[in-house]
Amino acid sequence: MSPVPAAAILASLSAVALIADRAWVVASIVCALFLLCLKAPRGRRRLYLVGTLGSALSVFLLSPLVSHTGTHVIWEGPKIPVVGYLDVTSEELAAAAIQALRLAAVGLAFAAYALLLDLDRLLQSAGFARRSVLAAGLATRLVPTLERDAAGFVEALRGRGVQVEGARGRARLLSPLLAGSLERALNLAEAMEARGFGRAGRTRAPSPPWTRLDRIALAAAALLVVGAIWL
Amino acid sequence: MAVAEVSRLTFRYPGATRPALLDASLRVEPGEVVAVLGPSGSGKSTLLRALAGLVPHFHGGRFEGRVVIAGKDTRRFRPADLAGDVATLFQDPEDQIVFGRVENEVAFGLENVGTPPDQIWPRTHAALAEAGAERLAERRTETLSAGELQRVCLASVLALEPTLLLLDEPTSQLDPQGAEQILDLACELGAAVLVSEQRPALPLERCDRVLFVADGRIEIDATRDEALDRLPPEYLPREPRLLPETPGEGEVLCRLDDVSFAYEWQPVLESASVTLRRGEVVALTGPNGVGKTTLAKIAAGLLEPSSGSVETGGRCCYLSQDPGRYLVKDRVEDEAALAAGGDKDRARAALAGVGLAGFEDRHPRDVSSGERERLALASVLVADPDVLILDEPTRGVDPPRKAELAAQLRRDAKRRATLVVTHDLVFAGDVADRGVTLNARERAHA
Repeated sequence: MSPVPAAAILASLSAVALIADRAWVVASIVCALFLLCLKAPRGRRRLYLVGTLGSALSVFLLSPLVSHTGTHVIWEGPKIPVVGYLDVTSEELAAAAIQALRLAAVGLAFAAYALLLDLDRLLQSAGFARRSVLAAGLATRLVPTLERDAAGFVEALRGRGVQVEGARGRARLLSPLLAGSLERALNLAEAMEARGFGRAGRTRAPSPPWTRLDRIALAAAALLVVGAIWL
Repeated sequence: MAVAEVSRLTFRYPGATRPALLDASLRVEPGEVVAVLGPSGSGKSTLLRALAGLVPHFHGGRFEGRVVIAGKDTRRFRPADLAGDVATLFQDPEDQIVFGRVENEVAFGLENVGTPPDQIWPRTHAALAEAGAERLAERRTETLSAGELQRVCLASVLALEPTLLLLDEPTSQLDPQGAEQILDLACELGAAVLVSEQRPALPLERCDRVLFVADGRIEIDATRDEALDRLPPEYLPREPRLLPETPGEGEVLCRLDDVSFAYEWQPVLESASVTLRRGEVVALTGPNGVGKTTLAKIAAGLLEPSSGSVETGGRCCYLSQDPGRYLVKDRVEDEAALAAGGDKDRARAALAGVGLAGFEDRHPRDVSSGERERLALASVLVADPDVLILDEPTRGVDPPRKAELAAQLRRDAKRRATLVVTHDLVFAGDVADRGVTLNARERAHA
């Protein structure tokens, strides 16, 4: 499938997850997207899956503690200054579950976009704002690059007999990681300029024509969103 | 008409105390292959960047003199406008890759210079074939090895069919065979080629003319034969010393027995065995992608082998092939002191040992690439390890500094076991007592 209809399907699934108020619908989308993400190589998908599912779990666990809705109390907690009572109601749990599922759906849709789509072809398909789309593509590639750089710093430290432990130890690597990214960005900008980026009169390599499946997928994406609004 | 003409060029980077290039003049004729040699920081890269128009347009700074490329004065034409007439292949392929798929990467330059759409894919695939990378066309760039990436970058510049090709240490990450292939391809293109290299034998075998740059001045501009009589001895080509494979007699400090390793189910090392003894320096050589770095990391305890056993005695330290990994702290002295538990005296001594005395208060990112390499070495040597493992310690290092490094490692060899992973066979011959060669799908036993 071409990347544009594939991206449209992912965007429509995210939209449906945000619009729908039935938990089973959102849960089905999460399951489908999760299975889709499993198609990506293990090493690349780990960060996306752990980040998305970890965030969703945090929302599920923390949201009932800070919200104050519902009457069916299932756990009575202490009173905390500013926050108030840490009671948990069944209504809060249900709301937290759907918010967590929505977050998971959007996160997994982005993960599938970053991991599985041919972002280059998506860029080629963009008829406007090509610089912005290119910047978005480079930013998407930044995630695995940062992950690799972080692993490289940790490895070099371990190679010197210095252990990096805990969140604090890793947080100390943020500044060198940021500086390294800026340096890399400068090198890349230099290489791009040397290859003519930004010159007037650029052309575009021809893209393969859309297939019937691509058209059906695009129509399905539109129908999904309309259906979610209507239902 | 000359492809490139540089007249009395003096250039100073913003904030620099001295010029990177001083009164440099040269003329490059069509089809000429020119080797650009000289120490790290001498101005070789700046000269190439001036020829690409990147100096002064991209870097800023004070520019005096004149550079004309294919009739275009670089003061009036930006680098993007010169692209196509001139193409540059930089040292680190990872910093040049824009796209996720190989064929799109090669097509990028063609799109930028306005190549008619119906010619873009044929020229892309022809360039990939020329660079020996046709089979990579559909691959994701992040899955390629350093050698494969550099071939893709070469294809990207070949596709532009430039009249002037600038190669800034393009083979520093490649094994000798891969490096020769890349240079042969570039030199057979028919374009004028300027190639800067820290393994001088490679360009000297192929060039018509030699430029030797030192302290920003072009000190030698001569034909190859004349230059061979005038170049400093460290830059002259010589055959590597053949290393014996017989192990020494010292105390065994590290033993790898039948170790194997796989990344994501992809085997990279199969049944390799190496023993390191106190008092000996072992050179580990072999083609790109054969598992040398993996073996070194297993020996250093940074990776667990999937099978086989590892025994290590004493403290083991590993120097990564990327000096950019040794830029964690804000001061050079603090960086060097990390592995010494913050001991500033030991850090200063280690820095002095690699010629970085006086750099203590500088920010590690403010030093040159050659100085970064020395800082990385000091950051590891400060620990005074029993087992020292150096992964490509001569990448981007100039010949005089390589000689100093070899002497330094030889001086301390008695105190420890040293493993040097390298593609530089001349350096291996200079530094090592014995050699271990790792070949694809073969078992290394030494």
